[in-house]
Amino acid sequence: MAMIPKGLEKQLNTLDFALSSLWRRKLKNLGIMMVFSLVIFLLGSFQMLTGALTSSADAVLENTPEITIQKMSAGRQEAIPQTYIKKLNSIYGIRAIIPRVWGYYFDESTLANFTVLALDHNAMPNGSKLNLTLSDGHFPKKTETGTAVLGGSVQDILELGDRRVFSLFRPDLSLKSFQVVGIFSKQTDLLTNDLIVMNVDDARDLFAIPTSHVTDLCVYVANPTEIETIAKKIAGLLPDTRVLTKSQIQKTYQVVFSWRSGFASICLLTALVAFAILAWDKASGLSPEEKREIGILKILGWETGDILAVRFWESTLVSALAFIIGCTAAYIHVAFFDASLLKPVMVGWSVIHPPFKLLPTVTLADLLLIFTFSVLPYLGATVIPAWRCSTVPPDSAIR
Amino acid sequence: MFLNSWSLGLTLAGLIILVLGVFACRTAIRVLRHWNPSSDTNLQITLENEIWLASTLVAYGLGFQILTLVLFVLAADTFCQVIVGAMCATGALLANNFGMPALLVKIAGVFLYGFWIVLHKLDISSETYPLVKIKYIYLLLILPLLFADITLQTLYIAFLSPDIITSCCAVVFGSSAETGRNLIVGFSQTGLLFLYYGSIIVLAAVGIILLKRWLLPLAVVFSAGWLWFLGVATVAIISVFSSYIYAMPYHNCPFCILKPEYHYIGFALYFTLIPAAFFGLSTALVEPFKNRVDLAGQVTKYQRTAIKISLIFLLLLAAISSYHYLLYKISGGES
Repeated sequence: MAMIPKGLEKQLNTLDFALSSLWRRKLKNLGIMMVFSLVIFLLGSFQMLTGALTSSADAVLENTPEITIQKMSAGRQEAIPQTYIKKLNSIYGIRAIIPRVWGYYFDESTLANFTVLALDHNAMPNGSKLNLTLSDGHFPKKTETGTAVLGGSVQDILELGDRRVFSLFRPDLSLKSFQVVGIFSKQTDLLTNDLIVMNVDDARDLFAIPTSHVTDLCVYVANPTEIETIAKKIAGLLPDTRVLTKSQIQKTYQVVFSWRSGFASICLLTALVAFAILAWDKASGLSPEEKREIGILKILGWETGDILAVRFWESTLVSALAFIIGCTAAYIHVAFFDASLLKPVMVGWSVIHPPFKLLPTVTLADLLLIFTFSVLPYLGATVIPAWRCSTVPPDSAIR
Repeated sequence: MFLNSWSLGLTLAGLIILVLGVFACRTAIRVLRHWNPSSDTNLQITLENEIWLASTLVAYGLGFQILTLVLFVLAADTFCQVIVGAMCATGALLANNFGMPALLVKIAGVFLYGFWIVLHKLDISSETYPLVKIKYIYLLLILPLLFADITLQTLYIAFLSPDIITSCCAVVFGSSAETGRNLIVGFSQTGLLFLYYGSIIVLAAVGIILLKRWLLPLAVVFSAGWLWFLGVATVAIISVFSSYIYAMPYHNCPFCILKPEYHYIGFALYFTLIPAAFFGLSTALVEPFKNRVDLAGQVTKYQRTAIKISLIFLLLLAAISSYHYLLYKISGGES
């Protein structure tokens, strides 16, 4: 021990004493720690879930077109005429404009919701690579009417098995049959689980959208720095449309997630306040034995500062342990149980969502935020009671 | 933009610090009014107990303040994702007029609370508590800064408006001019590097001389030198070293180096620079207390320790800041 500086040795001894003092009152401290861990677990789950959702939204949006054009009428989105594409010919810098038909198809016999998507994939930049996402087969060619590519769970829900033909209802309840020409591979489940991809003409037929109309237009821009300018020009040329840029959508997602997690944090603040009061109460209610102990320590020559240091170490140890337990539990909750307790609050309110895996990305920043939310109030709540009990006059304590 | 966990966390931490500060100031007022070391009344004994409370509260406040400082920068870094034209924390902090002042007040706070703790340590090292009055007047003077801190922070958060898709049109017609880059312009790189390394050498030399032989004017030069170096080093980190860390000549951001992509090297830089500057500055600032009854020995001891600590941190800072620069100069690029 000769090598250790004196100040450090004193702190180490104080730490040692704090540990043994915690151990002597295990029941009380364990109780506090469990409740504290629970609070941290809830806060941490929300924070990690937000991070995981933001990053999976980013991953989804990475391959979206730079600009999406939707026609608005009376504040609602409606089908956009394909003639609008010609109006945009004058804008330089546009790499491709892809008309797209998409929508949701509710299958009444199985009570499932499918996403139907139709576009001319050959016109897309990188469109030829799309076939790589299929486990077998190919994308519907423009000339092949009545063909479709299915996502994994669509195939299961329709109970296709080895059969290659299925039918969907048009709005007037007449049947339209399709032939399966490809199945998406498992790796793209997050995006393609509930997806049916078909030809633009077939999709128009299925949804009874007038020919020459599509759902929206995807604009691909070659130079990312030109996106904003091009979007502005489009908005000028087509005043009845809503022009969405990729970064706008990304920011909106982020705001929505951070708003929701902020809202959840406010709800959890009540739990936090309750916990701080509990901690305050536990720390101020001194049992006669504790009073006696402090009195004896003081008579033995301990100063108020030393007892405060013991209390500080006790609080730090309890909160550090609770922090580790809470954060680990939160990570397990998000990573292995897909945040099943909290996901409904964060991910829409739609019941049918493709089951997808969340991968929490925990950064130092997240941990620091959780720390601020939990440990700071705890330390703040225990500091005054700790001082109060460390100033017990020794004579009154052991009398 | 209060409904966001970062804003809430910052506000919560700010409120906790404020409560601690107000409690400490209550003690300060009582001590200033009733302190009388020659009496042995109940009140005096209570007060002697209470100064422990005040010091613990300020110590906690300092710890929390350092934490919120980091949290503030990290929060700005997440805010930038939802603000138009902001590429990183710089952009988010410049998004309204309160960001930068809030940051500066927070940094100043760290220095001022730290100095209070130095005073306190000196004070309790003597049995007569010779600095008690000065210490508590000083504490009361810090309180407005605390209020300013939380006010600026709240204003900053309140005036942040996130950029989301509205129902009419999502295209932003405002300018999305980049605000991220030019926080500091107009320094020549070589001149700056010369100043930076020159200051390091001069400071180290002065420090070593002071450790050998105490000369008051030299001590004043040493502390003043640290104030100067704090500025020079900040500018050097922003406009020279950051580019080498990012391996991009036009990326000069003081905050992105705090990110995991750059192995949190920014924390290492700032957490050596700030303590080094703090201890360097305090060396001369404690000098007036040498005249107090039985403090001379303690003050001298503190000064020696402070010089040693500041020199060690200076050395670390020099090594850490030069690492990427030298790596580039020697290997001609990122390894």
